[in-house]
Amino acid sequence: MKRRKFIQTLAVTPAAALPMVSESNAETTVGAQRSQEEAPKLETAPLDAAGETTPGFFSAPQLAALKKLSAILMPPLNNMPGALEAGAPEFLDFLISKSPAERKQLYTTGLNTLNAQATKRFGKAFADVTDAQAAELLAPLRQPWTYQPPADPFARFLREAKQDVRTATINSREYALAASSGGRRGGSGLGQYWYPID
Amino acid sequence: MAEKEYDVLIVGSGASGGMAAYILTQKGLKCLLLEAGALVDFQRQRGLKPVYELPYRGFGKPGKLPHVVQANEFNANQWVDEQQVPYTHDPKSPYNWVRVRMVGGKSLFWARMSYRLSDYEFKAKAHDGFGDNWPISYAELAPFYDRVDPIFRVSGRKEGLPQLPDSLFIEDKSPDGAALERIGTAGKSRGITVTKIRRSLGDGQFASSFNLLLPAAQATGNLTIVPNAVVRAVTTDKNTGKANGVSFVDRQSGRELHAKAKVVVLGASCLESTRILLNSKIANSSGVLGHYLHDQFYISNGVMGVMPEAKDGKAPRGLLGSAGYIPRFSNLKAPNTKAKNFLRGYACDLYPGATPDAKYFPAWGAELQKQLDSHRGAGIGTTIMGEVLPRFENFVKLDPTVKDAWGIPVLNFQCRYTDNEFNMAKHAVDTISQVFKDAGFDVLNANDKMHPPGYSIHELGTCRMGENPKTSVLNKWNQSHDVKNLFVMDGSSFVTGGTQNPTLTILALAMRASEYLAEQARKGAL
Repeated sequence: MKRRKFIQTLAVTPAAALPMVSESNAETTVGAQRSQEEAPKLETAPLDAAGETTPGFFSAPQLAALKKLSAILMPPLNNMPGALEAGAPEFLDFLISKSPAERKQLYTTGLNTLNAQATKRFGKAFADVTDAQAAELLAPLRQPWTYQPPADPFARFLREAKQDVRTATINSREYALAASSGGRRGGSGLGQYWYPID
Repeated sequence: MAEKEYDVLIVGSGASGGMAAYILTQKGLKCLLLEAGALVDFQRQRGLKPVYELPYRGFGKPGKLPHVVQANEFNANQWVDEQQVPYTHDPKSPYNWVRVRMVGGKSLFWARMSYRLSDYEFKAKAHDGFGDNWPISYAELAPFYDRVDPIFRVSGRKEGLPQLPDSLFIEDKSPDGAALERIGTAGKSRGITVTKIRRSLGDGQFASSFNLLLPAAQATGNLTIVPNAVVRAVTTDKNTGKANGVSFVDRQSGRELHAKAKVVVLGASCLESTRILLNSKIANSSGVLGHYLHDQFYISNGVMGVMPEAKDGKAPRGLLGSAGYIPRFSNLKAPNTKAKNFLRGYACDLYPGATPDAKYFPAWGAELQKQLDSHRGAGIGTTIMGEVLPRFENFVKLDPTVKDAWGIPVLNFQCRYTDNEFNMAKHAVDTISQVFKDAGFDVLNANDKMHPPGYSIHELGTCRMGENPKTSVLNKWNQSHDVKNLFVMDGSSFVTGGTQNPTLTILALAMRASEYLAEQARKGAL
């Protein structure tokens, strides 16, 4: 609106309906319509929309084994992303780096064992074995679940990894977006969050 | 500035503290209620978030709440911070102490399961010779249960079972699912009965002191609620030995304060009340303060059943229904209920229509997903809840080396289950497994290993009541044998716990004790 036209409009508009804005500050109209006590509400995006996790805890062979293990445990199925698409191995690299020493040890030793067993039995790293060969190495996962974790650290590692890879995948942004676009109920992962109490 | 002296100072705002305030204020007594936690604005304090926006993608911050199995990253801030208020135990004998500090206490979050005790608990020694009887009977507490029921709006169905007295129910008229009926039929020869669950409806959103007790108490004009007041100790008059108030700390600043009162009521939760008394160095001429710690052992999905006809989304109409409950059926007066290798008994929650967790399937990848899809809604989950015998050897004491964020000595736990609990757990899992099979269900997994003590959040005892001042801390009115103007009204007063969730009994006991307190105060007898 040109200034002359704007002023003409003012002349015939009841005072109560006048916007509290002049032509000189028209660019701030949106802000001015908010009451002075009300803070602006800006839309934000989650961290995972901006970038991917940078792994830094596991060694390269360990991370390669974890990626292979994750892909086997949780592949893409039914139009839903698998562990790799959900960035689960990279997220677990972060999570384990923040975990108590015992859990760090369980994972690093477990991944080393995967690589060592793959090399010993198939002459290659775990990342390079076939699915059939991997299945042989994952045989401890065929044992029924018990409340007490397995005494064997490798079996215990596999049991924890199975659960962790699954959780890291299902709780990912990629999984939620896929569930949402597919019209799946309950796939958004929405929950009632408690903020810290002063 | 002179301290104001209140008629009654109440420590804790959960079920027992809230009930004490509810009764005492209506009797005209001026009450001060100190709560260690904050007054929470639920509209501001909680909000919906997607799990992927949480910093640890729902796993929770590693090591933040190692003992609170119930915690997740959504609710981590509602529990007491274990670094701020630690406790100690032998690493080989863990205890899961689960705590809430906010106005309303744990009553904000309880599962609302509302079951009365019976004389199988109140007169347990008379029945089987172990331990001690309570100094009260069911008949003495029943009138107070009758008054608590309508306040909390307990739903259920009259069953007429001697081991599980009926409440004044809001009748649950929902039909039983065929799955539960089949379990009832299959278990009948073992004395098993399947009932409705009994649950406090409250006002829907809450069934808590926060909405059902404290507003009414405050409406009398006789209640002052002070949040963020961490009680250090009960103080006493050096001439009379009577309680004259409490010393406490501002949770946020650490400032030390003192409040005066003619009577002190502890309702800070079972183990916090005992901790306050141990730090006060009073009320322990018997030497049993801190002892006889017990709870109910819990086994989550001790039996994970599967209804074959419900697999692949083909559950017949009427099969699933709502949740059910198997009350104690061992070691009753009825014939053929005697167990071979344990005293007392266990109960079991039943959840038809559950989806078994991925951990139960020894598979991965597409094979696992196929199993999960097939079993979705076809499971029957269980929670087995067993009575733990109260033993002198299970106790808490002050740890001489560790203090909390306010410099208050913390508790050390010495608690472990014994063969009675282990044998009971095995019996429970074997029996429920067989009943499931007899009912035509598959058993996907069976596990008789219970969670560590404390997991049920039903910690009881340590300040128990009794007729004999040499073997108990409180008399039958929840009143200290040693300090007559000191009352302890929470679960610490329990002599035995049975299998029943304790909150309804805590409420009834606190109501009864508060009425007695008010009458004694009126007579000038405190």
